[in-house]
Amino acid sequence: MRKVAVVGIGHGKFGVRSDASLRELAFEAVKACLDDAGIPLKEVDSMVTGIAGDEFALGLQPSAQVHDYIGFHPKPNFRVEGACATGSIALRTGIMNVASGLADVVLVVGVEKMTEVPTSIATEIMGKAGDSIWEYPFGTTFPGYYALIANAHMAEYGTTEEQLAMVSVKNHYYGSLNPYAHMQKKITLEKALTSFTVAYPLKLYDCSLITDGAAAVIIASEERAKVISKKPVWIVGAGLATDTLRLGDRKSLTSILAAREAAKTAYKMAGVGPSDIDVATVHDCFTIAEIVAYEDLGFCEKGEGGKLIAAKETYVGGRIPVNVDGGLKSKGHPIGATGVSMAIEITKQLRGEAGERQVKNPEIGLAHNVGGTGQVVAVHIFRRE
Amino acid sequence: MDFKNFSLNISQTKVNRFVDELSAGKFMATVCKKCGKNYYPPLADCSNCMQSDMEWKQISGEGTLVTFTKIHVPPEHFAVRQPLMPFSSIQFEPCPIGLLEVEGGLKIMGWIPKGDVKKIKVGMKMKASPFTLPDGKVTIILEPI
Repeated sequence: MRKVAVVGIGHGKFGVRSDASLRELAFEAVKACLDDAGIPLKEVDSMVTGIAGDEFALGLQPSAQVHDYIGFHPKPNFRVEGACATGSIALRTGIMNVASGLADVVLVVGVEKMTEVPTSIATEIMGKAGDSIWEYPFGTTFPGYYALIANAHMAEYGTTEEQLAMVSVKNHYYGSLNPYAHMQKKITLEKALTSFTVAYPLKLYDCSLITDGAAAVIIASEERAKVISKKPVWIVGAGLATDTLRLGDRKSLTSILAAREAAKTAYKMAGVGPSDIDVATVHDCFTIAEIVAYEDLGFCEKGEGGKLIAAKETYVGGRIPVNVDGGLKSKGHPIGATGVSMAIEITKQLRGEAGERQVKNPEIGLAHNVGGTGQVVAVHIFRRE
Repeated sequence: MDFKNFSLNISQTKVNRFVDELSAGKFMATVCKKCGKNYYPPLADCSNCMQSDMEWKQISGEGTLVTFTKIHVPPEHFAVRQPLMPFSSIQFEPCPIGLLEVEGGLKIMGWIPKGDVKKIKVGMKMKASPFTLPDGKVTIILEPI
């Protein structure tokens, strides 16, 4: 397998982007990405587009909207999806392209225009990312699924609503420092704890946002990476794993087993372990998901995730800084773009370009992206030279 | 009975019998005749031995609650409509849901109609029962034993 490096990153502004369409959002990220890489589009051999929902794009084959609008034809482009892990699956597909030798330089775009539909429809679309036949009839929503996980975790390990809120306070703090974040606003613990209940015990500030946005990266083979970039960031581990469609069929309700599997593969491939990770982006679609991610990735023991945030170990300066870009919670969660945005943050951190949010001299970073309720999870590990 | 009366979503499946039995008050699982694996929700095919020779089996609805929630912001299908009467409001008090583990580790999802969410506890003994709603649709409820 050939080595693969990130050589360009481009992040669009996340938010309620009532000023732009899906293809226009994608263009912003692609333009920024080409500028960062310092190459014209004609030097890109192939492209992968991550868009999670036809229901949000309001049409079949939304990836064609993107390659047409950026003028990529007749070169290869196709779309991949895996609910909220779509962006990381697009990255993985790009890696497969480069590693196999099918292409030397690949553009990976993740984009979603979620506010094109009303909130109640978005809630329905997301709810059906579980089992649309056997779970949805009980009114399940995405917050609902993670609330089921939260209540199980609280009952088994004594995790508290305060600990959940602490995740939100942290991520909002870092989001306030991220100009691309949807909600650049600090919040207090009290505000998080007194916000209205979305799905018991999850409250408004436990939930990520319905967001529009795009993110793009360019990845390249070793030979091309060394020519294009002064600071290539190598993708040294790539794990992907799956689990049952229904929560009820899982072996555990307090862990995302596909995340454990994907992490195991990625750590093994990279030849590193959890204690080697200097900075991480994890899938905090809900605050409980970040706590479960700490445990699944081995940043702490099973059941100790609540204590890890309570001890502020996941802040910059702590044992393992997590989601110091604001996470899905504050940065927003345009589902197709999220995984690509995670790769951008890790690349920025490893390049030392994260400004006020910069972790001190990191060498190895990790991105953890969960699709649905854990039906598919991708974990990537990045390393600077 | 149209499967949509339970699923709200798809109308066709090989396990259509499930809704007929549910409307007659019975909980049915399927069992693989070859390996003996039990499936609830009932499945028409066994992924354990990749064959489709299944039989139906009635299961008990008694078990232990493994988790629960109460969804205050419902999806579009269950969305609360604005009242037609001016100057009036709709008080929305959603029904909690739970996941019950019954015999053989099978898990049944259901509504908890009489549940005060603050009093529902993981580990409670409950019973799942089929329930026919006023509009004729069939669903499942969980009640304390």
